[in-house]
Amino acid sequence: MLASIRPDSWNFPLFVHVFGAMVLVGGLIAAALALLLSRRAQLLQGLGFRFLLFLALPGFVAMRGGAAWIYSKEGWSGDNDPTWIGIGFATADIGVPVFLVTLILAGIGARRARAGAGGGLTRAAGILACLLLAAYVVTVWAMAGKPS
Amino acid sequence: MSFSDWLLSLHLLSAFALVSGVVAIAAINVPAVRRDRPSEIALLMRLGKVPQIVLQVGLAGVLVFGIWLAIDLDRYSITDGWILASIAVWIVGSALGGIGGARAQRVHVEVERVAAAGDVATPELLAQVRDRSRIALHTGSGLATLLILILMIWKPGA
Repeated sequence: MLASIRPDSWNFPLFVHVFGAMVLVGGLIAAALALLLSRRAQLLQGLGFRFLLFLALPGFVAMRGGAAWIYSKEGWSGDNDPTWIGIGFATADIGVPVFLVTLILAGIGARRARAGAGGGLTRAAGILACLLLAAYVVTVWAMAGKPS
Repeated sequence: MSFSDWLLSLHLLSAFALVSGVVAIAAINVPAVRRDRPSEIALLMRLGKVPQIVLQVGLAGVLVFGIWLAIDLDRYSITDGWILASIAVWIVGSALGGIGGARAQRVHVEVERVAAAGDVATPELLAQVRDRSRIALHTGSGLATLLILILMIWKPGA
Protein backbone atom coordinates (compact mmCIF):
# COMPACT_ATOMS: atom_id res chain seq x y z
CA MET A 1 0.00 0.00 0.00
CA LEU A 2 2.98 2.24 -0.56
CA ALA A 3 0.96 4.93 -2.28
CA SER A 4 -2.51 5.28 -3.70
CA ILE A 5 -3.45 4.81 -7.35
CA ARG A 6 -1.50 7.13 -9.69
CA PRO A 7 -0.72 7.32 -13.42
CA ASP A 8 1.57 4.49 -14.53
CA SER A 9 4.19 6.97 -15.77
CA TRP A 10 4.78 8.09 -12.16
CA ASN A 11 5.66 4.62 -10.91
CA PHE A 12 9.27 4.37 -12.06
CA PRO A 13 10.33 7.82 -10.77
CA LEU A 14 8.60 6.97 -7.47
CA PHE A 15 10.44 3.63 -7.34
CA VAL A 16 13.80 5.37 -7.95
CA HIS A 17 12.98 7.90 -5.21
CA VAL A 18 11.78 5.36 -2.63
CA PHE A 19 14.40 2.69 -3.33
CA GLY A 20 17.16 5.31 -3.33
CA ALA A 21 15.95 6.55 0.06
CA MET A 22 15.91 2.98 1.40
CA VAL A 23 19.47 2.35 0.21
CA LEU A 24 20.50 5.71 1.71
CA VAL A 25 19.02 4.77 5.10
CA GLY A 26 20.47 1.24 4.96
CA GLY A 27 23.90 2.64 4.08
CA LEU A 28 23.67 5.15 6.92
CA ILE A 29 22.68 2.43 9.42
CA ALA A 30 25.70 0.30 8.41
CA ALA A 31 28.02 3.33 8.34
CA ALA A 32 26.84 4.76 11.68
CA LEU A 33 27.35 1.38 13.40
CA ALA A 34 30.82 0.90 11.92
CA LEU A 35 31.93 4.47 12.66
CA LEU A 36 30.59 4.57 16.22
CA LEU A 37 32.06 1.16 17.10
CA SER A 38 35.38 1.80 15.32
CA ARG A 39 37.22 1.97 18.66
CA ARG A 40 36.90 -1.85 18.79
CA ALA A 41 38.74 -2.45 15.51
CA GLN A 42 40.59 -0.36 12.98
CA LEU A 43 38.93 -2.10 10.05
CA LEU A 44 35.59 -0.51 10.99
CA GLN A 45 36.96 3.00 10.28
CA GLY A 46 37.60 2.14 6.64
CA LEU A 47 34.38 0.17 6.31
CA GLY A 48 32.26 3.00 7.70
CA PHE A 49 33.69 5.34 5.10
CA ARG A 50 33.11 2.83 2.31
CA PHE A 51 29.48 2.28 3.39
CA LEU A 52 28.96 6.04 3.11
CA LEU A 53 30.75 6.37 -0.22
CA PHE A 54 29.49 3.31 -2.07
CA LEU A 55 26.02 2.87 -0.56
CA ALA A 56 24.66 5.97 1.15
CA LEU A 57 25.95 8.44 -1.46
CA PRO A 58 24.50 6.62 -4.53
CA GLY A 59 21.30 6.12 -2.50
CA PHE A 60 21.16 9.85 -1.79
CA VAL A 61 21.67 10.71 -5.48
CA ALA A 62 18.89 8.28 -6.53
CA MET A 63 16.58 9.57 -3.79
CA ARG A 64 17.12 13.26 -4.65
CA GLY A 65 17.06 12.68 -8.41
CA GLY A 66 13.90 10.59 -8.10
CA ALA A 67 12.34 13.30 -5.93
CA ALA A 68 12.95 15.97 -8.57
CA TRP A 69 11.65 13.63 -11.28
CA ILE A 70 8.38 12.71 -9.51
CA TYR A 71 7.96 16.36 -8.43
CA SER A 72 7.98 17.49 -12.05
CA LYS A 73 5.72 14.58 -13.12
CA GLU A 74 3.15 15.53 -10.47
CA GLY A 75 3.13 19.09 -11.74
CA TRP A 76 4.12 20.92 -8.56
CA SER A 77 5.50 24.40 -9.17
CA GLY A 78 6.76 25.62 -5.80
CA ASP A 79 3.65 27.75 -5.21
CA ASN A 80 1.40 26.37 -2.48
CA ASP A 81 3.24 23.06 -2.34
CA PRO A 82 2.04 20.91 0.56
CA THR A 83 4.03 20.90 3.81
CA TRP A 84 5.25 17.32 3.39
CA ILE A 85 7.00 18.25 0.13
CA GLY A 86 8.67 21.16 1.93
CA ILE A 87 9.85 18.83 4.72
CA GLY A 88 11.22 16.38 2.14
CA PHE A 89 13.17 18.97 0.17
CA ALA A 90 14.38 20.72 3.33
CA THR A 91 15.87 17.59 4.89
CA ALA A 92 17.29 16.42 1.56
CA ASP A 93 18.93 19.74 0.72
CA ILE A 94 20.05 20.73 4.22
CA GLY A 95 21.29 17.17 4.52
CA VAL A 96 23.72 17.65 1.60
CA PRO A 97 26.37 19.68 3.49
CA VAL A 98 25.92 17.54 6.61
CA PHE A 99 26.34 14.41 4.51
CA LEU A 100 29.45 15.81 2.80
CA VAL A 101 31.02 16.77 6.14
CA THR A 102 30.23 13.26 7.43
CA LEU A 103 31.85 11.71 4.35
CA ILE A 104 34.96 13.92 4.61
CA LEU A 105 35.40 13.28 8.35
CA ALA A 106 34.98 9.54 7.83
CA GLY A 107 37.41 9.63 4.87
CA ILE A 108 40.11 11.50 6.81
CA GLY A 109 39.49 9.24 9.81
CA ALA A 110 39.90 6.13 7.63
CA ARG A 111 43.12 7.52 6.16
CA ARG A 112 44.56 8.33 9.57
CA ALA A 113 43.50 4.92 10.86
CA ARG A 114 46.46 3.41 9.01
CA ALA A 115 48.71 5.38 11.36
CA GLY A 116 46.61 4.34 14.34
CA ALA A 117 44.87 7.73 14.65
CA GLY A 118 41.68 9.43 13.45
CA GLY A 119 39.38 7.81 15.99
CA GLY A 120 37.81 11.13 17.07
CA LEU A 121 37.03 12.15 13.49
CA THR A 122 35.51 8.75 12.78
CA ARG A 123 33.25 8.89 15.82
CA ALA A 124 32.23 12.47 14.97
CA ALA A 125 31.26 11.18 11.52
CA GLY A 126 29.30 8.41 13.24
CA ILE A 127 27.36 10.94 15.33
CA LEU A 128 26.57 13.01 12.22
CA ALA A 129 25.42 9.84 10.43
CA CYS A 130 23.03 9.19 13.36
CA LEU A 131 21.69 12.77 13.09
CA LEU A 132 21.09 12.29 9.36
CA LEU A 133 19.33 9.00 10.08
CA ALA A 134 17.03 10.67 12.61
CA ALA A 135 16.21 13.47 10.14
CA TYR A 136 15.47 10.97 7.37
CA VAL A 137 13.18 8.90 9.61
CA VAL A 138 11.13 12.05 10.35
CA THR A 139 11.10 12.76 6.61
CA VAL A 140 9.86 9.27 5.78
CA TRP A 141 7.04 9.78 8.28
CA ALA A 142 6.18 13.15 6.70
CA MET A 143 6.30 11.82 3.14
CA ALA A 144 4.18 8.80 4.10
CA GLY A 145 1.58 10.43 6.33
CA LYS A 146 1.51 13.68 4.33
CA PRO A 147 0.44 15.98 7.21
CA SER A 148 -1.60 18.98 5.94
CA MET B 1 -3.82 13.04 10.05
CA SER B 2 -6.59 10.45 9.84
CA PHE B 3 -6.34 6.93 11.27
CA SER B 4 -5.68 5.61 7.74
CA ASP B 5 -2.86 8.14 7.31
CA TRP B 6 -1.26 6.85 10.51
CA LEU B 7 -1.61 3.28 9.33
CA LEU B 8 -0.01 4.22 6.00
CA SER B 9 2.78 6.04 7.82
CA LEU B 10 3.52 3.05 10.04
CA HIS B 11 3.29 0.69 7.05
CA LEU B 12 5.79 2.82 5.11
CA LEU B 13 8.15 3.25 8.05
CA SER B 14 8.07 -0.53 8.45
CA ALA B 15 8.84 -0.95 4.73
CA PHE B 16 11.80 1.39 5.17
CA ALA B 17 13.01 -0.56 8.20
CA LEU B 18 12.70 -3.83 6.25
CA VAL B 19 14.53 -2.77 3.08
CA SER B 20 17.11 -0.63 4.91
CA GLY B 21 17.80 -3.54 7.24
CA VAL B 22 18.32 -5.87 4.26
CA VAL B 23 20.67 -3.32 2.62
CA ALA B 24 22.68 -2.80 5.83
CA ILE B 25 23.02 -6.55 6.50
CA ALA B 26 24.12 -7.18 2.91
CA ALA B 27 26.66 -4.34 3.17
CA ILE B 28 28.14 -5.80 6.36
CA ASN B 29 28.09 -9.41 5.05
CA VAL B 30 30.17 -8.60 1.95
CA PRO B 31 33.36 -7.66 3.88
CA ALA B 32 32.64 -10.39 6.47
CA VAL B 33 32.88 -13.23 3.93
CA ARG B 34 36.09 -11.74 2.47
CA ARG B 35 37.97 -11.70 5.79
CA ASP B 36 40.28 -14.48 6.93
CA ARG B 37 40.71 -13.68 10.64
CA PRO B 38 37.93 -15.19 12.76
CA SER B 39 37.98 -12.23 15.21
CA GLU B 40 37.31 -9.79 12.34
CA ILE B 41 34.57 -11.99 10.87
CA ALA B 42 33.01 -12.30 14.34
CA LEU B 43 33.12 -8.52 14.84
CA LEU B 44 31.33 -7.92 11.54
CA MET B 45 28.76 -10.61 12.30
CA ARG B 46 28.06 -8.93 15.66
CA LEU B 47 27.69 -5.62 13.82
CA GLY B 48 25.00 -7.21 11.67
CA LYS B 49 22.82 -7.92 14.72
CA VAL B 50 21.48 -4.34 14.90
CA PRO B 51 20.21 -4.14 11.28
CA GLN B 52 18.81 -7.64 11.82
CA ILE B 53 16.56 -6.26 14.59
CA VAL B 54 15.60 -3.31 12.33
CA LEU B 55 14.74 -5.80 9.56
CA GLN B 56 12.64 -8.01 11.86
CA VAL B 57 10.65 -5.04 13.20
CA GLY B 58 10.06 -3.92 9.60
CA LEU B 59 9.12 -7.43 8.48
CA ALA B 60 6.40 -7.72 11.12
CA GLY B 61 5.21 -4.11 10.79
CA VAL B 62 4.91 -4.14 7.02
CA LEU B 63 2.57 -7.16 7.15
CA VAL B 64 0.48 -6.12 10.16
CA PHE B 65 -0.04 -2.49 9.08
CA GLY B 66 -0.41 -3.49 5.43
CA ILE B 67 -3.24 -5.95 6.16
CA TRP B 68 -4.83 -3.47 8.58
CA LEU B 69 -4.68 -0.79 5.89
CA ALA B 70 -6.23 -3.10 3.27
CA ILE B 71 -9.12 -3.77 5.66
CA ASP B 72 -9.44 -0.08 6.65
CA LEU B 73 -9.47 1.44 3.15
CA ASP B 74 -12.53 0.91 0.95
CA ARG B 75 -10.63 1.13 -2.34
CA TYR B 76 -8.50 -1.93 -1.54
CA SER B 77 -9.42 -5.45 -0.52
CA ILE B 78 -7.25 -8.05 1.15
CA THR B 79 -8.21 -10.37 -1.75
CA ASP B 80 -6.80 -8.03 -4.45
CA GLY B 81 -4.33 -9.98 -6.59
CA TRP B 82 -1.35 -7.71 -5.97
CA ILE B 83 -1.93 -7.78 -2.20
CA LEU B 84 -2.23 -11.59 -2.13
CA ALA B 85 0.89 -11.83 -4.33
CA SER B 86 2.75 -9.50 -1.95
CA ILE B 87 1.76 -11.61 1.05
CA ALA B 88 2.86 -14.79 -0.78
CA VAL B 89 6.24 -13.20 -1.65
CA TRP B 90 6.53 -11.98 1.97
CA ILE B 91 6.08 -15.57 3.18
CA VAL B 92 8.65 -16.94 0.70
CA GLY B 93 11.13 -14.14 1.49
CA SER B 94 10.69 -14.62 5.24
CA ALA B 95 11.22 -18.37 4.91
CA LEU B 96 14.40 -17.94 2.85
CA GLY B 97 15.69 -15.27 5.24
CA GLY B 98 14.77 -17.38 8.27
CA ILE B 99 16.63 -20.47 7.01
CA GLY B 100 19.63 -18.35 5.93
CA GLY B 101 19.59 -16.50 9.25
CA ALA B 102 19.54 -19.73 11.28
CA ARG B 103 22.54 -21.02 9.31
CA ALA B 104 24.32 -17.68 9.78
CA GLN B 105 23.71 -17.91 13.52
CA ARG B 106 25.36 -21.36 13.65
CA VAL B 107 28.34 -20.03 11.67
CA HIS B 108 28.55 -17.02 13.99
CA VAL B 109 28.74 -19.25 17.09
CA GLU B 110 31.53 -21.28 15.48
CA VAL B 111 33.43 -18.15 14.37
CA GLU B 112 33.24 -16.70 17.90
CA ARG B 113 34.52 -19.99 19.33
CA VAL B 114 37.50 -20.13 16.96
CA ALA B 115 38.24 -16.42 17.51
CA ALA B 116 38.40 -17.00 21.27
CA ALA B 117 40.58 -20.09 20.85
CA GLY B 118 43.62 -18.65 19.09
CA ASP B 119 42.01 -16.72 16.25
CA VAL B 120 43.33 -19.01 13.52
CA ALA B 121 40.89 -19.88 10.74
CA THR B 122 40.62 -23.42 9.44
CA PRO B 123 39.63 -24.11 5.81
CA GLU B 124 36.42 -25.69 7.15
CA LEU B 125 35.51 -22.52 9.05
CA LEU B 126 36.15 -20.29 6.03
CA ALA B 127 34.09 -22.68 3.89
CA GLN B 128 31.19 -22.24 6.34
CA VAL B 129 31.58 -18.46 6.30
CA ARG B 130 31.61 -18.42 2.48
CA ASP B 131 28.92 -21.09 2.06
CA ARG B 132 27.25 -20.29 -1.26
CA SER B 133 23.91 -21.86 -0.39
CA ARG B 134 23.56 -19.58 2.67
CA ILE B 135 24.50 -16.55 0.59
CA ALA B 136 21.96 -17.67 -2.05
CA LEU B 137 19.24 -17.87 0.64
CA HIS B 138 20.01 -14.31 1.76
CA THR B 139 20.09 -13.10 -1.85
CA GLY B 140 16.74 -14.78 -2.54
CA SER B 141 15.25 -13.16 0.53
CA GLY B 142 16.57 -9.74 -0.54
CA LEU B 143 15.17 -10.16 -4.06
CA ALA B 144 11.79 -11.13 -2.59
CA THR B 145 11.83 -7.91 -0.57
CA LEU B 146 12.58 -5.93 -3.73
CA LEU B 147 9.72 -7.72 -5.52
CA ILE B 148 7.32 -6.72 -2.72
CA LEU B 149 8.40 -3.08 -3.14
CA ILE B 150 7.78 -3.32 -6.91
CA LEU B 151 4.32 -4.87 -6.33
CA MET B 152 3.46 -2.13 -3.82
CA ILE B 153 4.41 0.67 -6.20
CA TRP B 154 3.03 -0.71 -9.48
CA LYS B 155 -0.01 -2.46 -7.94
CA PRO B 156 -0.64 -4.68 -10.99
CA GLY B 157 -4.36 -5.20 -11.58
CA ALA B 158 -5.46 -2.45 -9.18
